[in-house]
Amino acid sequence: MAYNIPEKYQDLTPAPQVDKKTLNKMVWLSCFLQASFNYERMQACGWLWGMLPGLQKIHTNKEDLKASMAHNLDFLNTHPFLVTFVMGIVLSLEQNKADTQTIRSVRISAAGPLGGIGDALFWLTLVPITAGLTANIALQGNILGAFLFLIIFNAVQFAIRFGLMYWSYGLGTKAVTMLTSSAKEFTRAASILGVFVVGGLIANYGGTTVRMIVGDTQINIQSLLDGILPKLIPLLITLGLYVLIKKGWTPVKCILLILVCGIVGCAFGIWTGNSQAMDADGNTIPGGYNPLVEWYDYPEPAPAEKTGQQAWDALTAVVTELQNGGVVVTMPE
Amino acid sequence: MEITIIQAILVFVVAFIMGIDQFSFLESLYQPIVTCPIIGAILGNFELGVVVGGSYQLIQIGSMPIGGAQPPNAILGGIMATVFAASLGMEATPEGVGAALGLAIPFAVFGQYAVTLTFTIMSGMMAKADQCAENADVKGIRNINFMEMAILGTLFGLLAVAGLYGGSALGQTLQNFSFQFSWVMAGLDAAGGAMKFVGFAILMKVMMSNEMWGFLLAGFAMALLCSANATTSGATLILCAFVGAAIAIYDFSINTKIKANAGAGNMGGDSDGI
Repeated sequence: MAYNIPEKYQDLTPAPQVDKKTLNKMVWLSCFLQASFNYERMQACGWLWGMLPGLQKIHTNKEDLKASMAHNLDFLNTHPFLVTFVMGIVLSLEQNKADTQTIRSVRISAAGPLGGIGDALFWLTLVPITAGLTANIALQGNILGAFLFLIIFNAVQFAIRFGLMYWSYGLGTKAVTMLTSSAKEFTRAASILGVFVVGGLIANYGGTTVRMIVGDTQINIQSLLDGILPKLIPLLITLGLYVLIKKGWTPVKCILLILVCGIVGCAFGIWTGNSQAMDADGNTIPGGYNPLVEWYDYPEPAPAEKTGQQAWDALTAVVTELQNGGVVVTMPE
Repeated sequence: MEITIIQAILVFVVAFIMGIDQFSFLESLYQPIVTCPIIGAILGNFELGVVVGGSYQLIQIGSMPIGGAQPPNAILGGIMATVFAASLGMEATPEGVGAALGLAIPFAVFGQYAVTLTFTIMSGMMAKADQCAENADVKGIRNINFMEMAILGTLFGLLAVAGLYGGSALGQTLQNFSFQFSWVMAGLDAAGGAMKFVGFAILMKVMMSNEMWGFLLAGFAMALLCSANATTSGATLILCAFVGAAIAIYDFSINTKIKANAGAGNMGGDSDGI
């Protein structure tokens, strides 16, 4: 990165409260958090898009706006429906012109844990309940199911988006003014939390493994590595990239290196990768893919992840479960 | 089944919107329960679409996009299942729908390829985003977001229209293709999974100092321990944040106290000297 993000903003006078109209605009834009989702920074660019109405109000100094935009492009992955919580906190820090490092540390610390909460709340609770009930209305050929699903889901979604934005912005503004008296210590503490969470992210999101099985005794290299230290490969790759970036490599160069290593590695059958290829019965390729160069035998076909039959069984299981739960389900003849 | 130009355009538009909605916007329009009836209506068999949507939705409940894992794409799966059910004149029953689902699988797989490809290309665009930030180019940031949505929507629209005309024969071709070049797609998948480490490395560059290494490894260890246990694995990052926050708050209070005492100590030293 040619541009060095300054540690402090030039204009350190706290900006006035951001008005309601801007906050609402940010909530609407938060729907597009994942609009430019990518593997490198995930939601970073969509996040910045959503923050911009507020940032433009706060940073009237052009240089400060540049700095703020640059550091708001950090890696970010949080839950798309709970993101306004992070937006409110970060906005209050920006408004009080906290050190950029503090904002970066607080942002990643607040964003990371929300992913798990959001998944449990939405994908494992709200969607199965609403979709399960409304799908049964639809199975009877009634379009009401689709409308009910959309109304319930979006009512909850937007209540949470707006509620979290105003709550966390108010909360953040109160807390930040209290902490600015010990700004230096606060930055240090925030960095500790940030680094701790990044360590957790490496273990939590690091999915890179090898699929190699070698020798007559079929030694599984991955379980060998797991015996030394689980998630060793993700940790080593991250540290390697950290060294490269410290040496002045640009992120693009790092990505190209990973891309080449990934494809060449899979040509030789080194990395675990899922090609998602499926035949009409829903059978996947054992081991995820067929390497271009096969230099070892991949052992017995791993059970297919989800065959058509399994999908059908899952469907009937859900229907039976609903029937047992007292919900009237009529399977169309 | 005869397909008019207008029907093809409408299918393209629906697939375009749903392709975007799966990640942005309302994030609920793309669910099969909504998508399938719309496609059914376009193809002139609304009720069949409603039933296909209902059945597909029940199957879909088991494969939600949790923690960044991507199941074969539900949008193209749902659209194509409706198309096949309508074009083959299938009965509006879950059994009939099951067969349509099998025919739709190659398209669902290719929908996933479209997503993987877009996410890989857009990783390269982040350098452009950095440039926009350096120039305070607000419109540039917005355009990058528009660009990915346009790419994703167009790919989904094209695949859906191709499926509409090509039918199950095209499905067969796509399936063969995906088997033949499975190592390339697996390579993209493996590389995509590792690209986030670049994001982590950039964050580390900001926050790291020599005394911070211990905290990084402590966080790593904490996450490993939590994820190894089935009851805590879902809450791994929350638990990490709890422990991290405890350390951070302790560090903060100790350091502010040291600062306060250091001030008092100096004063005391002066007065002692007198």
